Amino acid sequence: MELKVKDFESALKSLEEIVSQLEGGDLTLDRALELFEQGVKLSRFCSDKLEEAERKVEVLTRAADGTMKETPFSPGAESE
Amino acid sequence: MDLFDQRKIYTVLEITSEIKRALEKFGILWIQGEISNFKHHSSGHMYFSLKDDRAQIKAAFFRNNNCLLKFRPEDGLEVLVRGRLSAYEPRGDYQVIVEYMEPRGLGSLQLAFEQLKEKLRKEGFFDEAHKVPLPLLPRKIGVVTSPTGAAIQDMLRILKRRNASLHILIFPARVQGAGAAEEIASGVRYFNTRDDIDVVIVGRGGGSIEDLWAFNEEIVARAIYSSDVPVISAVGHEVDFTIADFVADLRAPTPSAAAEMVSGAREELLSTVQSLSGRLSQSARLFLERRRSALERLARSRAFNAAPNMIRDLEQRFDEAALRMQQAVTRFATSLRHSERVMLARLAGIDLRLLIRSKSERLSRSRQLLNANLRAGLQQQRARIELAAGRLNALSPLAILARGYAICRDARGVLVRYAGSVTAGDGVRVTLAKGELDCRVEGVRLQPGD
Repeated sequence: MELKVKDFESALKSLEEIVSQLEGGDLTLDRALELFEQGVKLSRFCSDKLEEAERKVEVLTRAADGTMKETPFSPGAESE
Repeated sequence: MDLFDQRKIYTVLEITSEIKRALEKFGILWIQGEISNFKHHSSGHMYFSLKDDRAQIKAAFFRNNNCLLKFRPEDGLEVLVRGRLSAYEPRGDYQVIVEYMEPRGLGSLQLAFEQLKEKLRKEGFFDEAHKVPLPLLPRKIGVVTSPTGAAIQDMLRILKRRNASLHILIFPARVQGAGAAEEIASGVRYFNTRDDIDVVIVGRGGGSIEDLWAFNEEIVARAIYSSDVPVISAVGHEVDFTIADFVADLRAPTPSAAAEMVSGAREELLSTVQSLSGRLSQSARLFLERRRSALERLARSRAFNAAPNMIRDLEQRFDEAALRMQQAVTRFATSLRHSERVMLARLAGIDLRLLIRSKSERLSRSRQLLNANLRAGLQQQRARIELAAGRLNALSPLAILARGYAICRDARGVLVRYAGSVTAGDGVRVTLAKGELDCRVEGVRLQPGD
């Protein structure tokens, strides 16, 4: 099973599948170890993604040339 | 002349003008009635009749006034109109020129709301199948709202309290009044041109139906419906339902609720991942335990230990068999020696030399007999051969020729057996016992009967 992780959602889904396979118990020892390793990798990936802390609030303003610009936003400040 | 005989004779135009003046004296008035024969011309002007169960009056509602209407007038609708009466001289009829119209019963905005809701519902704008679920872990949220409004304040407060790690991008838009609907729609469309927005929230704080009206406009509904990015509508309070709420992929009862929706996932997912990790190591451990105990059971089992027992058994049997065999061999050897002795005794009683001499005499007698037979046989064979050779010799053509016969062949070399096969003058070759002759036929004498 290739560890093709594109995003959080697919990683979580794969992790769930691995856990249910291991809990099923009907595996060879090699396979079980393989799955366990992959499970650990996926679990770390998911935790990392969740820990990624990035809190940012910005407001868009239209520049002179018509493009949208992002500027930091502070609530309560007048902006239009 | 009679006073009463003085008749004022009006022209048609005069009397019609009088009528028109009289009608115009009514000034601005309100009329209630049911719309019938409604026509909305391409010019933008509306023409219809207002009626009740006994009478009707023609009405005209020109474009410059009817463009402000929020709802669609239709036949059967009970309405209240404000306008002026007028007469149209060339046709000789009168009508009310409507300046303002509102539905009786429902407010005009409510009616407009119902009408648009029905129209969009028919087009499938509210279909569940069209709605997309929110991504599991949204990271970047686009918010279409007023930057100074209450909605954004509430949302940011919730997000801060939850310590959500989200990137919020605000598209500033008016949320009520003229042009608001266009700005809101443009915000939704803008977020669709980017590829980094996971969810769009459109929202504003509470207000009256007029205040929230922008979110009931068709342009907003269409922008939300066409959005590939999932849209959450968060307009007003729990009790307020706008068209945007029906079209959106998800409705939040308030802007705060919307903030909860997009940030809640993280905590829940964190605990899900943790529980999965726990189950992962637990199941791996159990797996190994089961294998190990199975192995131990196996090591303790009878089958496992039976093997050494079995080997000992076999060894014993082997030993016993080996012993028996040894005994048998000894017995055999003993009996063999016994028979040996018997044999020697017997041999001792025989004169071997005499035996040998008689045997050799028999042998030479046989040899002589054999020789004699052989010679006789050979003689017989030679006689037969000589007989056959003699016969053969007699038949040989050379022997025949030796007796005086000749072979005659024609010019082609073919044997001549009949006189008739040659004619006088032919050349023939004659072969004798010794030598050959070249002859010419002098004459031919046939046998009688040829």
